[in-house]
Amino acid sequence: MWWVGAGYKTRNVDPSALTPPSFLLLNSRPQLLLVISVTMAKDMTLLWASGSPPCWGVQIALEEKNLQGYNQKLLSVAKGEQKSKEVLEINPRGQLPAFKHGKIILNESYAACLYLENQFKSQGTQLIPEGAAEVGLMYQLIFEAQPLAQKIGEVLYYNWKVPEGERHDSAVQRNKEALKEEMKIWEGHLQGCGDFLVGKSFSLADVIIFPVFAYFIRNGGSEERYPNVAAYYKKLRDRPSIKKTWPPTWIDGPGMGTLKDI
Amino acid sequence: MAAKSMTLLWGSGSCPCWRAMIALEEKNLQGYNHKLLSFDKMEHKSQQVLDINPRGQLPTFKHGDTVVNESYAICLYLESHFKSQGNQLIPDGPEEQALMYQRMFEGLTFYEKLGSVIYYDWYVPEGERHDSALKRNKDGLVVELGLWEGYLSKGSGSFLAGKSFSLADVVVFPTVAFLFRFGLSAGRYPKLEEYYALLKDRPSIKASWPPHWLEGPEEELLLKDI
Repeated sequence: MWWVGAGYKTRNVDPSALTPPSFLLLNSRPQLLLVISVTMAKDMTLLWASGSPPCWGVQIALEEKNLQGYNQKLLSVAKGEQKSKEVLEINPRGQLPAFKHGKIILNESYAACLYLENQFKSQGTQLIPEGAAEVGLMYQLIFEAQPLAQKIGEVLYYNWKVPEGERHDSAVQRNKEALKEEMKIWEGHLQGCGDFLVGKSFSLADVIIFPVFAYFIRNGGSEERYPNVAAYYKKLRDRPSIKKTWPPTWIDGPGMGTLKDI
Repeated sequence: MAAKSMTLLWGSGSCPCWRAMIALEEKNLQGYNHKLLSFDKMEHKSQQVLDINPRGQLPTFKHGDTVVNESYAICLYLESHFKSQGNQLIPDGPEEQALMYQRMFEGLTFYEKLGSVIYYDWYVPEGERHDSALKRNKDGLVVELGLWEGYLSKGSGSFLAGKSFSLADVVVFPTVAFLFRFGLSAGRYPKLEEYYALLKDRPSIKASWPPHWLEGPEEELLLKDI
């Protein structure tokens, strides 16, 4: 085990992560850590789409774990590139994100995030908190984010998912009501929260859920009706890992206001 | 004893509840307090549930003052908090660990595809149901079953993440058990059948088997043509 001080949080470095020639050339431990991170990242590849919360979560996790320098390719869902051969070779489901680390493949964003935190525990930001109550809350929230994302999708993509002959106004209405109820639950979760979803530190809950809130707001979600969500969004949007990975297609201007009545 | 400070509110014949119960057994937390509630009588929306889980869903779980709802969250919390007791449910090696996480989360899609068929009438009000939609959902489930048949054929061991039982099996086995409960035909998915046979008598699974299933087949065999 290598113990590193010198202004960094004390951390263990797994000797098996060292590439012997690089290590021998270095004079300082911070440089050593940097080489290890870059070496690890060079074995990683992420295929992603702009504005996709699952893709964005993985990108945030990679930044937070100091794994900048990973290979990446931006693909277009509008052009159907998620069904291209290069994606299907990594992910037979033809979905993004598609992530590789050496021979290891992780095509589910939560799987990739949990893997990265567990395998790189000792570098970058600690993304799983210490106390039992906080761990429990973090896991609960990331799974509650599933119905949140799903309900947003049911409203935004109704016409894309449901063939014309099967569409009903009653279903559209029900989906909108369900999303409203869901957003109220999250307003409640954020009531009295500090800067983060769980306790006093940034965690996997923020990695996974910030992109979903940002997506809601991007698509017209009301900041007036959901002030706690809006406040959380504003507090975190300038965090370096988030700012750096902000969806490139969002920089061009506002999105569709589809969710403005929610 | 830790289990005595735990309470699980659950319903019989619920995959999510079953996942939590398998995890509790695997971590040697037998003896937890629990209450069987009835979905039919809408007991999942009762005050005792809403007090712990504003979503009015099961499983609902408390450990001391810590509330953890969402079945996958309960499983991950238990493994994290009780790592050193019972069976190790998250492998250490990077390849096996990654595969475990991958299959766990694909397991959510698997459950969703199953539900889109067996719970179609529960989810979709009568005036909005279409044969075309149910057919599409069945076709989606068939594709999904093909994927899992493939995973079990090519895997390096008998379990979803390889050679050891893991959280992937904890969360996905209930879905597989449901397939056979709802009439998946013998012979069509041999690897899934083998997996089911391998695990159905595992102590943690046997101990948490849905009680009303022991009374005999009652469900309409919605999957017999799949």
